[in-house]
Amino acid sequence: MLYLCRNLRYHYSMKLKTLFFLSGIIFAAVLLLPGCQQQPRLTFMVGGAPNELAFFEGLLASFTADTGIEVAMIRQSTDSTQRKQGILLALRGHRPDPDVMLLDVAWIGQIAASKWLEPLESYGINRHDYFTSIIELADTYESQLIGLPLYIDGGLLYYRRDLLQKHGFAGPPQTWSELRQMAENIVPAEREQNPNFWGHVWQGAQYEGLICNALEFFTSAGGGFFNGTATPVLDQPANIEALRYMNELIHKQPISPPNTFTDMKEEEVRMHFHNGNALFERNWPYAWGLHNAADSPVQGKVGIAPLPGFVAGKSASTLGGWHIVMSKFSDKKPEAASLIKYLTSAPVQKKLSLKLGWNPGRVDVYEDKEVLAANPALKNLKQVFNNAVPRPIIPYYSNVSQILQKHVSATLANRATAEESLKKAQNEVQEMIKSYGIR
Amino acid sequence: MASGNFLQQYEKGEVRTAWIFIAPLLLIVGVFVLLPVLGTFYTSLFLDVSYLPEQFVGLRNYIDLLSSPDFWQALRFTLAYTVAAVTLEAFFGVMFALLLNEAFPGRGLLRVVILIPWAIPTIVSARTWQLIYEYTYGVMNYLVVNSGLVSERINWMGTEFGAFWALVFADVWKTTPFVVLILLAGLQAIPEDIYQQAKVDGAGLFRRFYKITLPLLMPVLVISLIFRTIDSLRMFDLVYVLTGGGPGGSTRTLSYLGFEAFANDNFGMGSTVSVVTFIVAFAITLVYLRAGKFSEQLK
Repeated sequence: MLYLCRNLRYHYSMKLKTLFFLSGIIFAAVLLLPGCQQQPRLTFMVGGAPNELAFFEGLLASFTADTGIEVAMIRQSTDSTQRKQGILLALRGHRPDPDVMLLDVAWIGQIAASKWLEPLESYGINRHDYFTSIIELADTYESQLIGLPLYIDGGLLYYRRDLLQKHGFAGPPQTWSELRQMAENIVPAEREQNPNFWGHVWQGAQYEGLICNALEFFTSAGGGFFNGTATPVLDQPANIEALRYMNELIHKQPISPPNTFTDMKEEEVRMHFHNGNALFERNWPYAWGLHNAADSPVQGKVGIAPLPGFVAGKSASTLGGWHIVMSKFSDKKPEAASLIKYLTSAPVQKKLSLKLGWNPGRVDVYEDKEVLAANPALKNLKQVFNNAVPRPIIPYYSNVSQILQKHVSATLANRATAEESLKKAQNEVQEMIKSYGIR
Repeated sequence: MASGNFLQQYEKGEVRTAWIFIAPLLLIVGVFVLLPVLGTFYTSLFLDVSYLPEQFVGLRNYIDLLSSPDFWQALRFTLAYTVAAVTLEAFFGVMFALLLNEAFPGRGLLRVVILIPWAIPTIVSARTWQLIYEYTYGVMNYLVVNSGLVSERINWMGTEFGAFWALVFADVWKTTPFVVLILLAGLQAIPEDIYQQAKVDGAGLFRRFYKITLPLLMPVLVISLIFRTIDSLRMFDLVYVLTGGGPGGSTRTLSYLGFEAFANDNFGMGSTVSVVTFIVAFAITLVYLRAGKFSEQLK
């Protein structure tokens, strides 16, 4: 047996050597291949649900038909965190692709501050057709226009029109205390038929949505997260008052369900209201279409309004949505600019609204008769978007959000008072800023 | 114990051939395991935040991490979680393995069925458990309320205590089959005649278990527990789905802390957390090896 093996080895050693040599070459080739220079090409990175991606594919095809510019779509998932990771990887590596991409308004500040975005105005892209405040707050960095809102979102109050009417209320609440008063009036009566009925559902789980909700409560109490873009003011009295109110919604004569701070994200909140189990709901505009779908239990019974304030008229709506930008490392800048112009043009924005139900970034589309006929709610939404507050446009926003999530959640879970939580959050944010060496 | 002695027993040609055969593997381990580990350690010495100029800071990330209450909270939670989960898994693992080692009708089917939880990806089973623990429609609340145990529904994830045991429970359900599988293999390697001998000598059921089964099973048990412990120490997916680190950041594991740092694009701090997690897992594995007297057995 041993003899046989030896024999075999001598016999095959030459061939083996050749084999190793060849496989070495192939291995090296595989390693080096991605480094080879590729032809410059125009790429558009976008994520979303299958129907949204299909829609974008159609848009890109007609863009190519119009302009003769070939464009490839790089698909991402629907998950916002994963989309951010993918974009950051490309930009950190100074890759020439993607040339054009969509950024969530929550992280546009970070990416702009990294100086990875190409200023747009020198390509003949202008800012006039958009919500002035949104352009100023979210799309301008060091006085340069670096992005445009492709579509926008903002927090709103959904309410059961039929129930308010039935119990003798004229309209939606203007203030948070009115909201509580209506809920305390209506909920006990409705519970007799539906034991799962609650007054107000909102996003209270420990995640980014909690911060969107907190910003609305805080701002409508006269508070906020930052003074300007450098000074955190998390523990100011208005914020403490608002956070205490959030805690009381769940724990003191509760009108929000006990699982608000554990389970409630957008879809959980929407389903709760959708199934007829809540009087009020805080959500993004996407819920409107779903609540009014033909198979919806609350179809035709829902109204929308700006969120209440702690005093009447002091309403705040957290700005959401996606903005279109051009990479500084793009190898096809003029072509990229024409793609941005195309996707933000009035006809495409109108199509976006009609086909996907998204809220256009352009103001003029809100006046379009066809669009308004298809979605009458846009008239109210325009009002909401005019008063939208963005989350702080600062590079380290995600750290601030994480620190706040932890501490706000602690108060909602009754693990700390509002004051303790916000004092701690303020300290941690200050520490973080110091350790990053940001002036 | 110089490697020269070890190699001298072979011909030169043989040694060379051996190197050629090992080289691709060494290359792969080097490129895909060793380099990333070293790279992670290297990155942990920098203030490496995507939007800031990169800056060498020495051990400052480590000092920052060790002086933050979040780290100690996460370490405490991770260790408590690991101890609870691994203990329960060892207990149920041994029980089920003993049961499935006996001959009874339907054993083949049961052996397959019991593996199902392990075959389901954690992220999927975590979603399932989320539905089970759900407040309004969850099965768990349905059971405890309808059986009259409690009058009001329980918000399982609402307290640190509840969330902790909810996570442990889901983990035990998911990974006990893994322990069972390995122990079953171990049990089948124990020769039947030792038991016959013991029976002749008059040893009872429990005596046979403590004197024969357990000692002979020990090496396999320790290996499966090492796997389970390392897995639990870097547990992430259950927390990510079930609690999101809440309530109030009380259920964050070390891996979750690392994830948060990376999500903030703080690659230096993320790497630091990874290195510290690695050190903790390494230290605990050493303890296991000592306790299981593995070094001697390997000789």
